[in-house]
Amino acid sequence: MISLNYRDASPIYAQIKSGLKKLIMTGAMKEGDKLPSVRALATELAINPNTIQKAYNELENEGYIYSVPGKGSFACGDIKADERRKDELKQRIRALLQELRFLGAKREELLALLEEGEEETK
Amino acid sequence: MIEIQDVKKRFDGFAALDGTTLTVPTGAVYGLVGPNGAGKSTLIRHITGIYRQDEGAVLVDGQPVYENPAVKERMASIPDDWYYFLQSDVRDMMRFYCGFYPRFNMERYEKFKEVFSIDEKRTIRRLSKGMQKQVAFWLAMCTMPDYLVLDEPVDGLDPVMRRQVWSLIMNDVAERGTTVLVSSHNLRELEDVCDHVGIMNKGKVLLERSLEELQGSTVKIQTVFQEGEVKLPEDLEILHRSATGRVQTLIIRGDIQSVTDRLSVYAPLLLEALPLSLEEIFIYELGGVDYEVKDIVL
Repeated sequence: MISLNYRDASPIYAQIKSGLKKLIMTGAMKEGDKLPSVRALATELAINPNTIQKAYNELENEGYIYSVPGKGSFACGDIKADERRKDELKQRIRALLQELRFLGAKREELLALLEEGEEETK
Repeated sequence: MIEIQDVKKRFDGFAALDGTTLTVPTGAVYGLVGPNGAGKSTLIRHITGIYRQDEGAVLVDGQPVYENPAVKERMASIPDDWYYFLQSDVRDMMRFYCGFYPRFNMERYEKFKEVFSIDEKRTIRRLSKGMQKQVAFWLAMCTMPDYLVLDEPVDGLDPVMRRQVWSLIMNDVAERGTTVLVSSHNLRELEDVCDHVGIMNKGKVLLERSLEELQGSTVKIQTVFQEGEVKLPEDLEILHRSATGRVQTLIIRGDIQSVTDRLSVYAPLLLEALPLSLEEIFIYELGGVDYEVKDIVL
């Protein structure tokens, strides 16, 4: 369900977090779907359960999942998470824009890209 | 909780443990690391009650371990040289374990038969090194331990078995709150399973911390400054610095945010902060006490 990349410098809890986030955001996990228990994921990935608990706690704070005591954790489908994702994506575009500008891309080119994107998603 | 308080142990005048102090909180998975000959195995033999310390105290849940069966029956251990009777097969050893561990779980024993797929009638002596290790695991996990003390546990196991074994241990940690102390040189693997780490050197514990704290307290910075060399503030604790061309690599004590904040004042052309792996932390921390790879030309 989640695969860990051992060559990645980012810590494992962050990888678990982003893996689950991706599942929720792409809709592979729908609102109200149950997440695997900490124990199940710890056993499956052979990872310390505290690490997984930490990832779950942060996801809950960020509004991607909610937990029901005694039942487990469930995916949220709320808008707060969408807003956050928007901010994240904007941040990525900023970084890309910086690189494009460095490579000499002109303002018109960038605007054309934006229009292109709008056409495609229509 | 396992508490080691200022333990000293001498062998023929050689201080193998020289005032070792260490605490393993209940429910933690504690990774004990250190160079060869640091005293890891000696310490583990004290925790399992094989050696008696010259000075200091070795306590498990506040009770001394040495010659204390009440503590030992709640503790399973896999030493680096696991003992089995010469002519015994797995079943014989299982019966032997049953005698020492009142909580020995036969249901588990049967279940693990499939996991390890070793014929229980085979003489252990005739099994390969890795398979013997598997048998040691099989029996240790069946004792339903509250404390699991492992000395180089996955040494000699194939990649599938390593994962299998860790997965079984992690399941127990999550379900039963088992406290695990593990010594290993495979730091990559420890990073996944541990939440606490202690670094030993020359019979002492250099530092012990939660893994999170440890990884949050040192950063690797790659940076290029405009004027080449920049005089960095004195109070910035730089553990290591190296340069390739204009790119400088700095290992600095502090969390990522505060270190980048302080360095960005110098308007660097490039500033990249990376978290350190456990292996890097190990190398740099021991580099501080003169244990490092020496540049020798042959």
